[in-house]
Amino acid sequence: MKNITGSLEKDLAELKKILPAEDILTFEFQSEKGLAFTCVFADAVTDKELLGEQIILPLKRYEGEATAQAIGEFVTSPELRKEKSLTKLAEEVLAGNPVLLFEGADEGIIAGTKKVFVRAVSEPPTDVVIKGPREGFIEDVKINTSLVRRRLKTPDLKIEMLKVGRRSQTFVAMCYLEGTTPQKTIDEVKKKLQSIDIDVVPDSSYLTHFLSTRPYSLMKQSGTTEKPDIFCAKIAEGRVGILVDGSPIALTVPYLLVEDFQASEDYYVPSYRATFTRILRVLSLIVAIYGPAFYISAQLFKLQLFPIKLLLTISGSIRDIPLSPSLEMLLVLFVLEVLNEASIRMPKYVGMALSVVGALVLGETAVNAGFVSTPAIIIIAFSGIGLYAVPNLIEQTSMVRLAMLLVAGSVGTYGIILLTAFILLYLVTSENFGVPVLAPFSPMIGRDLRDSIVKYNLASLPTRPKAFKSKNKRRLKTHE
Amino acid sequence: MNKIAPRQLYFLLAAVMPVGKLILMPTQLAYYAKNDLLFPAAANFLLQAGIIFLIMLLSRSNRTFYDMLCYTFGKIAAKIVLSSLALFLFFAALLPLFEQKLMVQSVFYDTLPSIVAFAPFYLFSAYLCAKPLCNFGRAWDIIAPISIVGFFGIMLLSVSNAEFSALAPVGVNGAGGFFGGTAYTMSWFFDSALLLVLIGKFEYKKGMAWKSAVSYLIGAAAVLVFLAVFYGIFSDIAERQFFAFSKISKYFSGMTVLGRIDYLFIYSLALVMAYFCALPVHAGVDCLTQAYGNDGVKPVIFSVAINGILLVLSFVLDYRFGVLNDTITKTLFWIFPAFSVLMPLLALLLRRKPREKV
Amino acid sequence: MKKFDRFVKTIPMKLYILIAVLLIFAFFSNDFGLVDIQKTAVILAAGVDRTEEGFLLTAQIAVPKGTERSSCGTASIDVEGEGKTVAECVSQIYSKTGWVPKLIFCNLLLFGEETAEQDVIGCMDYFLRNEYMQDNCFVAVSEGSANGMLTTKSATEDTTSLAMEKLFSDAAGKSGKVMKNTLKEFAIGYYGESGSGFMPFIRAKDQDCGSESGGGAGSDASGSGGGSQSSSSAQGEEQKKIYSAEETAIFSNGKMVGMLPPEQTFTFSLLKGNVFSGTFLSEEDGKPVSVTVLKNKGGVKLDTKNKPKITLSVDLKIRLHNRGVPSPIEDVANEKVSDEVQQAAQERIGTFMHELWENCKTSGCDLFQLKRELYRSSPKKYGEWKDTLLTTADVEIKPNVKSIQ
Repeated sequence: MKNITGSLEKDLAELKKILPAEDILTFEFQSEKGLAFTCVFADAVTDKELLGEQIILPLKRYEGEATAQAIGEFVTSPELRKEKSLTKLAEEVLAGNPVLLFEGADEGIIAGTKKVFVRAVSEPPTDVVIKGPREGFIEDVKINTSLVRRRLKTPDLKIEMLKVGRRSQTFVAMCYLEGTTPQKTIDEVKKKLQSIDIDVVPDSSYLTHFLSTRPYSLMKQSGTTEKPDIFCAKIAEGRVGILVDGSPIALTVPYLLVEDFQASEDYYVPSYRATFTRILRVLSLIVAIYGPAFYISAQLFKLQLFPIKLLLTISGSIRDIPLSPSLEMLLVLFVLEVLNEASIRMPKYVGMALSVVGALVLGETAVNAGFVSTPAIIIIAFSGIGLYAVPNLIEQTSMVRLAMLLVAGSVGTYGIILLTAFILLYLVTSENFGVPVLAPFSPMIGRDLRDSIVKYNLASLPTRPKAFKSKNKRRLKTHE
Repeated sequence: MNKIAPRQLYFLLAAVMPVGKLILMPTQLAYYAKNDLLFPAAANFLLQAGIIFLIMLLSRSNRTFYDMLCYTFGKIAAKIVLSSLALFLFFAALLPLFEQKLMVQSVFYDTLPSIVAFAPFYLFSAYLCAKPLCNFGRAWDIIAPISIVGFFGIMLLSVSNAEFSALAPVGVNGAGGFFGGTAYTMSWFFDSALLLVLIGKFEYKKGMAWKSAVSYLIGAAAVLVFLAVFYGIFSDIAERQFFAFSKISKYFSGMTVLGRIDYLFIYSLALVMAYFCALPVHAGVDCLTQAYGNDGVKPVIFSVAINGILLVLSFVLDYRFGVLNDTITKTLFWIFPAFSVLMPLLALLLRRKPREKV
Repeated sequence: MKKFDRFVKTIPMKLYILIAVLLIFAFFSNDFGLVDIQKTAVILAAGVDRTEEGFLLTAQIAVPKGTERSSCGTASIDVEGEGKTVAECVSQIYSKTGWVPKLIFCNLLLFGEETAEQDVIGCMDYFLRNEYMQDNCFVAVSEGSANGMLTTKSATEDTTSLAMEKLFSDAAGKSGKVMKNTLKEFAIGYYGESGSGFMPFIRAKDQDCGSESGGGAGSDASGSGGGSQSSSSAQGEEQKKIYSAEETAIFSNGKMVGMLPPEQTFTFSLLKGNVFSGTFLSEEDGKPVSVTVLKNKGGVKLDTKNKPKITLSVDLKIRLHNRGVPSPIEDVANEKVSDEVQQAAQERIGTFMHELWENCKTSGCDLFQLKRELYRSSPKKYGEWKDTLLTTADVEIKPNVKSIQ
């Protein structure tokens, strides 16, 4: 690792050798006393106006000694660092921070005049609320940490910056409340983050694979959110939050399955309404997963699951369908998944046309042509909508639905029961950073059940969830 | 994850263990004891509750049954005893497994399904048995509420159709009915043997002995109420009504409008039964791993082997359930009290601490 | 050893893949002996007749709308099977239609009149043994043959059995005109101490003139061709029927031993305490007056202290329903029943109760399950009195009819 030599010519040549790219520019100037400076910066990512105002203009009037300390005190930039290593100076140039070299320099000066391209803080498209804050995270980790800091103005909030990615050098901010989050969890998360040896981290979802104890698990291994209010609430419960530069999706660990059934809005509406909507989410998910499976297993193995009138209606509608009930359902599900996938990826102006094609052409024409029956379409349509009642689990639940469908079509209702038993067993034995995924249901934690599917009034939730084994248990002071 | 919580144990005793007694046991009781079916059932429950109380007292040392056997007789004898207990548990598992298989064929299908329809159960069982027995504790946290909801749902739909006067006249079937009913339904009462495997896997806390016994009696009371409703609904044709829990709720008048909503509760109980039926197999596999080591892949091998054997047995004995049932419940019924009454009683005499070296 | 351990460790993953492959194979091959909705004959009702060779089973099978009869309501076809046992009849239906007959939705078991007189338990045996049969289905005896009755054309429903089932609705039961029974209850009665039971007796009447034409008339003809498939649509020219079940067939030891006429059926309902808003006739000044039952308590009590004593009691609260002659408006506004009507109603009910009892006594049907009652209350005396209970017991008839206040 080469260091600054003091010879401007040599140092510049060495730096150029490390940074041969054409967008690395240099600007040479002299002070009134004749001290030669060279500013090295990356085009497009450096704020040149700021560089001129805060660094170059003052230095043209500089009359002091040729030391980094003295020059640093003279310029007006609030963010200045010094560095001897040329390699590190080169990294800073690439990050957008200009480096100032001068004749006789003992250290290079790094000016924090990076040009930041960020979109404005806006409402996240995946977490829309009627009541409650509308701010969402953006791709810049610094702005994201500021959003967190604004909500948690306590010295206990620790934000540890780590760099992950050999080439991308992505900033990862690990946020937690000291004294609230168990040290064991913090250490474990930090250890896992530091042990990641990957070249590029383009998004936070990359980290989830490394944070999980069961990498091939069907279940999620970390919570995700785009909203700072949820992020802060989760941190306040005793979790560790992870923000990744370049990603608006924040991660939280340990993850509990129940948290995906809780929306931020639940805490801003009366508790009875929150309880109702949570029950609705659970029910719609159950119907969405089990509906198609029970429908075909009833047709194939257990007609009695239908009331007689419904049975006769179904019997009439599937009379001329060439496919077996299970294949028919699989076909409709396949079409739904294709439509879903296509409509998400497709440009917005084509989206409307796609909806028409999906709904009218594929749906109605398929029924009229006798490819599929109307009840199958109704059931899959409801199932499709039902899964989105818990959008954060869509990847998992859609696969479970498919598995249920396959089991129902081959073994019948008993297969559904066995698969349910299997999934339950899998879930109860799953842990995430030492916390059971199915808490507070299994192990049953009475107090934590107050904010699970049922949502008690905030005044009845004086303690943090016991599942996280937080040292600081009480969050609400009551006047008992 | 390493220890079963007291609450989970109470759930097992009160809400999981009774479920296995709702399939064919009511029919068998009705066959031998007719309208006096409650008394033999109560006798078996009380006996088991007493033994459970004693086993819980034994568990105060927080040592496993195997440890105690080692302290008293040495490792080789301990392995022999535990292996015999494992064999018993596999034998005891046969009846619940086969009755569940028949129940599945009746309740989950409209026509007799293929023999392989029940085979996936052994996959589930193999997966479950390969995991430590303590993992089961958390499962009880989930399935116990499901069991309670399922049971109450069925009772709610059926109790109004029961004519409890069918249970009169009391004692008319005499000692023969009582003892016949008690002896020939003992095959469903091996709960204390299961608990024997569990000791040392939970931390004994003050009062757990009587709380466990009471939990078991709560489950027993639920089964007795079920039996009363069952006989109240079917009275003289009760002995023909197999898979009792799936039959009693269909007479609810609202069913004509809503369809067979009782299947919701029946399937809930069937889910619990899947866990219950795997429990003796799991306990047996645990005995083997305790005796022969649980290092590496041994639990997986034991689990796959035992469940494989049971799967083969289920194919071989497919149409011989009558013979199997008679053999287990009539000819070899004495094996059950030997392992679930006598063995726990003898276990009380075991050393709970290692011998001090002189 | 390490290799072996590694191999064993990968077993779960290999197993999962194997299971997934098997599952997908099972899903797409779609054949584990399953009988799906398209291969199923959903039997809505079954009629059983005894023939010289054995049995004739008539299954009324639901078919998807639009294929038969009409595009609305529930369409059905009637398929017959003949054999030495009922099971043989069922398999004949299977071989004829190619559909697997399923009894899970069978809600009506109909027995021919002659069959009922011979023995119904032999016919029921198949249904009682069948694990997939719903034992809460209604049982009834039909006038003539069950085949003939099921193949008549209903004036009110597309499917005959559904029209008959309507007779057994809760509302009809509350009128007291019908006493419904189920397979399970009948079996309990037969296998219990009393060995008795009852079934509603169904008659068919022509819709237009109301003249009775038993299902039996045409039925024998179609029945004799046993095993032929007869579609209801073939009866296009046939007179449409309406059905009534006001009479009740009573059974002892599985055989039909008597019949309760409509008045006795109504009284039986009153004794069971089933009636609400049912009407019956009384008299005033020698003219008929209809009264409505608003409250009904009924019971049959067995006293076993010394000699068996049976008390049949009915307590009714009634109101005036219809006079049939012009009345002043003050009278129309008054629902109260006069003492004379009340008295006449009480006498009338008393007479019905007496006739009902005599009917049961002479036929030997323990309609009120008194032997069971005796067994439950006093097993010792049961052994002593069980054979003579109906004939030797003292009987007290206690009708009590009161007007609403």
